[in-house]
Amino acid sequence: MSVAEDLSVAKTLLNVEHLTMRFGGLVAINDVSFAATDNEITAIIGPNGAGKTTVFNCLTGFYKPTVGRLTLNHPSRPYQLEQMEGYLIAQRAGVARTFQNIRLFPAMSVLENLIVAQHNRLMQASGFTVLGLLGLSSYRHAEREAVDYCRYWLDRVRLTDRADWNAGNLPYGAQRRLEIARAMCTRPNLLCLDEPAAGLNPRESDELNELLTFIRDEHKIGVLLIEHDMSVVMEISDHIVVLDYGQKISDGTPDYVRNDPAVIRAYLGEDEEEGGS
Amino acid sequence: MAVLSAAGADAKPLDIGAMVKEAGLAGLIAFGLAFGLVGFETLDVPGGLAINTRFDDVAAVVVLTILGRIAMILLREHRPLLVAVIGLPFSVVLIVSLVFGWWTYFLPFSSAMVGWIVALMAAVFSLRAINALSHGDTVASREQREKTMDRIGARVQTAAKYVGPLLLAFAIILPFLPFADRRILDIGILVVTYIMLGWGLNIVVGLAGLLDLGYVAFYAVGSYSYALLALHLDMGFWVCLPFAGFMAALTGVILGFPVLRLRGDYLAIVTLGFGEIIRVILLNWYEFTGGPDGLSGIPRPTFFGLEFKRFAPEGMDTFHTFFGLEYSPIQRIIFLYYLILVMALITNLFTMRIRRLPVGRAWEALREDEIACRSLGINPRNTKLTAFGIGAMFAGFAGSFFATRQGFISPESFTFIESAIILAVVVLGGMGSQIGVVFAAILLIGLPEIFRDLQQYRMLAFGSAMVLIMIWRPSGLLAHREPTLLLNDGKSKPQETS
Repeated sequence: MSVAEDLSVAKTLLNVEHLTMRFGGLVAINDVSFAATDNEITAIIGPNGAGKTTVFNCLTGFYKPTVGRLTLNHPSRPYQLEQMEGYLIAQRAGVARTFQNIRLFPAMSVLENLIVAQHNRLMQASGFTVLGLLGLSSYRHAEREAVDYCRYWLDRVRLTDRADWNAGNLPYGAQRRLEIARAMCTRPNLLCLDEPAAGLNPRESDELNELLTFIRDEHKIGVLLIEHDMSVVMEISDHIVVLDYGQKISDGTPDYVRNDPAVIRAYLGEDEEEGGS
Repeated sequence: MAVLSAAGADAKPLDIGAMVKEAGLAGLIAFGLAFGLVGFETLDVPGGLAINTRFDDVAAVVVLTILGRIAMILLREHRPLLVAVIGLPFSVVLIVSLVFGWWTYFLPFSSAMVGWIVALMAAVFSLRAINALSHGDTVASREQREKTMDRIGARVQTAAKYVGPLLLAFAIILPFLPFADRRILDIGILVVTYIMLGWGLNIVVGLAGLLDLGYVAFYAVGSYSYALLALHLDMGFWVCLPFAGFMAALTGVILGFPVLRLRGDYLAIVTLGFGEIIRVILLNWYEFTGGPDGLSGIPRPTFFGLEFKRFAPEGMDTFHTFFGLEYSPIQRIIFLYYLILVMALITNLFTMRIRRLPVGRAWEALREDEIACRSLGINPRNTKLTAFGIGAMFAGFAGSFFATRQGFISPESFTFIESAIILAVVVLGGMGSQIGVVFAAILLIGLPEIFRDLQQYRMLAFGSAMVLIMIWRPSGLLAHREPTLLLNDGKSKPQETS
């Protein structure tokens, strides 16, 4: 058993073990364990207030989990995310995320948003500003490369012709796409998307599906997805984790989860036995 | 009255009662302000102070306020005709009488300047009324106004390519223009010093979005670093200059380290406190800083070792003998002017350059959204510290220039009001806008110096100018940001705000 477990740890990209998060007396997440793999889209679903976003915030260092181990198996070495500072999780371990309420840099241009995402790479190229101030060609070369990479993602999310707009002036759906592109520009190993389909119309949702499948298949990274829109979740996820009241109630393939009685109970309510109040 | 009121397009009946009430309230506020500030004047008389009352001035202030308020109400309620009919002759008569010096018969004020202000106000009201009569609408809506100003801001920003060099050329030839006497040059030095400080603070406030109310502390550290090094270790200005900048930057980083966890208002309050702490230390550490006596006899800068003196010290040459010129004290002033101009330009070049580097973009991103920055792997603490340190460094350079220009410094020169003025220059210019800082510094520093004739009304005018700008243009005069990098070379125009 333990051998098999070790093997599975080696294979997975992200391993969440016994994650618990308490805010004072409130238990937001209670002993949740799950794993996410490279090359797969893992969806976390659950009713409102189930603790999905809290899981994300623990993963990306915005919260320090009360109990639990979060291991990210980076190609070079494993990282214990619960011990790392927030920005290092993105910088070293390569976990990028988007936010439920979009957080772009609204007064900066679309292109600048993507360039900022390549900050650490460019910072090194600019010799931590000193060489860049002198205007050395090595930095200019690195910047051109960064712009080319931005252009690749801009083409992908169809924003190339609006690259010089202020990000805040884009329509809502385009802002969602830009945020995903920005996260991808950090060249992550794990992409965490917090309700990317919220507020999108059906056509935009379809485009989102395409984009996420593209990211999984072409860039071979793991995608972790919180979503309410079942058309997105059921169609593209390889693996679904269901949370309810901070507990994991189901975990498996879309077909398995769809038919799991525990999930149906959480979404559609218990039978009549509970009575009044 | 009833006939005149028909001028409005959608003439609701004018509520005289409400109008009287509103104007009366404005008059009451004016009375409350003016009674204490204008109503009494202390006079030096033999044997002590005497109080002189000026209630006629108070009455004039109150009446003018009420009249102005009524004019505003009438404009708001679409009745511009009355304002035009009364305001236009009034302002014309007033201006004519001011020009010919008859104003003393009309107005009880002791200064012609006040008369000019009243005349200008009346003229503005009547022009607005006439504009309303010809265009049908009275007041441009707030959005329209914002949009117009945005467009002007964008245009000035693009015109900055030409305006900047023009201003620069003017600044370079200024000392040789016929009207450039010592007073003009001194004002020029002061304005350029504030431009440099504004550009330095622009890094912290405009780019990184950290509201720093204690900026003058770094200015003080730079000044004292130079003064103490020069007095005790006999080091020259050029050797001390980088050191003063370094000391200020170091102070910035040390102060910044504990406070940068705070945001917004809290950061502002703590920086304000640190600014005061530095000043209080300078005031009380008597053995080291001379306390309230300050430091005097700070050496003047030299032109590559050539001093600006009538007679050279032993074994040295002076500027005027070396270049075979007639000695004139203005040579030193001109040199100081060019010195601060070059230092300010270096600050500007540095800022323009660093805005296009990753660290500059990270500053702006941090201003926009710190949480998003963290999620992209940007170290917020280091990024903020570099902004704080580099901003402080330029204040340190400016500070050592200040010390060498004055020859005497004391904690008096580094009070909170200085921080407030520098911040006002940045905010007024439009945060992050380099050319805006120039305009704002000329407006805020240059004009009050030129209008010294206004005497005690000078600060009043300063305050009212600030209030007017806050009403008309809360985001600053030229708040318009050009992207640091274009993909489509402006082929697809970044479109207006929705």
